[in-house]
Amino acid sequence: MGDLIRRRGLASGVVVGATLLFLFVPLAVVVLFSFHSSGGLTFPFEGFSVRWYEEVFADETFSEALVNSLLLGLITSAVTVIAGTAAAYGVARSDSRIRGGLRLLFLAPVLLPGLLIGAALLTFFARFQFDRSLLTVLIGHVVFAFPFVFLLVQTALERLDLTIEDVARDLGAGPWMVFKRVTLPQIAPVLAGAAALAFMLSFDEFLITFFVIGNEQTLPVYIFGRLGRTVDPGINVASTLLLAGTALVWVVAAVATLRAARNDRAADRMEVEV
Amino acid sequence: MAASAHRRSRNQAIALSAPAALGLLLFFAAPIAAFFVYSFLTGATFSFTADTPFTLQNYVDVFQAPSTGDLLFNSAIVGLLVGITCLAIGIPFAYWVRYHAGRLQSLILLLVIAALFTSYLVRIYAWRSMLGTDGVINSAIQSLGLSEEPLEFLVFSRFAVVVAIVHILLPFVILILYAGFRPLDPRYFEASEDLGAGMFQRWRRMVMPLIAVPVASAFMLCFVVASADYVTPQFLGGPESSMVGVQIQNYFKAQGDYPLGAALAVVVVLGYLAIQGLILLAMRLTGVRRIEWGT
Repeated sequence: MGDLIRRRGLASGVVVGATLLFLFVPLAVVVLFSFHSSGGLTFPFEGFSVRWYEEVFADETFSEALVNSLLLGLITSAVTVIAGTAAAYGVARSDSRIRGGLRLLFLAPVLLPGLLIGAALLTFFARFQFDRSLLTVLIGHVVFAFPFVFLLVQTALERLDLTIEDVARDLGAGPWMVFKRVTLPQIAPVLAGAAALAFMLSFDEFLITFFVIGNEQTLPVYIFGRLGRTVDPGINVASTLLLAGTALVWVVAAVATLRAARNDRAADRMEVEV
Repeated sequence: MAASAHRRSRNQAIALSAPAALGLLLFFAAPIAAFFVYSFLTGATFSFTADTPFTLQNYVDVFQAPSTGDLLFNSAIVGLLVGITCLAIGIPFAYWVRYHAGRLQSLILLLVIAALFTSYLVRIYAWRSMLGTDGVINSAIQSLGLSEEPLEFLVFSRFAVVVAIVHILLPFVILILYAGFRPLDPRYFEASEDLGAGMFQRWRRMVMPLIAVPVASAFMLCFVVASADYVTPQFLGGPESSMVGVQIQNYFKAQGDYPLGAALAVVVVLGYLAIQGLILLAMRLTGVRRIEWGT
């Protein structure tokens, strides 16, 4: 019996290995060919060169798109983390009568595909003759990223020991002081992860953006515009840079998560010693 | 005193949630509700006024367009194939990571999260360079002498669309299922074995009730996202396998007929509601109930 389970485990292990290859090999190929010395996108690989990077960086549309995407990512991240934390804090302490309704409203945007959110926002803006611009894109990104941030913060708040807050309040701390000195330090790693996630969701968002953008560019819109041409190493370069951007955010989030896990273990040890 | 403190904390709670709630009411709930109303109005190109009389003409046009049936059918098939494939890979993957990965567990989860973080458009592009007639897979097949001609069916087909969307959604599915397995401690398996339960009993009585809800939500996520995708079919789909999202996008971005696009979108949403209803019904009929496991 145990042997059978081990063999099944091995078979599943093969599934896991194959799946990880499936997930990462196509991306590795894109990155590899962004450094190709010839314009071809097929093997055999003929040698390394950064000429396509020089070509893309010389393109002013690309720099504009990159700056816009960075700005949108940062603002979306800031807005959703502040509004999402306040909302999660409020929901956790609100009446049970309105809690369900609020939670549904805060999570609802994930239930609809980007296509429909984008089309609905486009129609809405058109109806009120609200010109499409980076501001309408920002609104779309915040609506899209908000539920993810809200869910992460809400889960973290649910795990908190509320008696510590009560103690702080009994000791005379006001609500802001309780939040700043008691709650915030405990959920800070989660907020860092949520900020990273929101940045990434915005930085990569295309489905809604395509509907609500005006004449400006974001990095995904730029890549979409070039996708039509058949062989274009420039897309590999832009794609690699997009991957590098999100990978950087991933590293930040991973470090924050690991540090939080270590803090948890340290806290456990302290309790044992006490 | 206690009552007023309670009221104050309740008011604070409402005040804290208010900005987000108002923002989402204005820029999500209102546009979606209005979208439904607009599908009964008449549009001018790329703009419309809300003072035309109500009409069912858009819905008549949607159902009279010869392509609508094919588009809905193709989208449903792609949604179904993506959902089944993601679960077929995701369930063993998440199960192994939860119960057999040992020290590799956090590393594998971090890799899955990294895959989750990779760009949507880049992955569509990546699969075009993998599956194209002069792409990576065809060059490999030809240089190994397995085939003289490139395999044409790999790209610009439903197969290519499904592969790319599975690639995009699989990390989500794995994380949802892993979170589903998490509450079930492996020691419960040992206990069930001691009580004489075999592999079949274990899955039927312990694992299935535990992951029924995550499996249903993962499937629904796959179905909705895959069937409403409008970029992947444009770059990887074949001429016969166009999808409803591409058509909705066309109505809005190319033809500028917003009410007609809204009507088709409403039909799609009704389809989602019907499928969600079927899933709930199936779960009730099979008597799968959620069990809470301690950790």
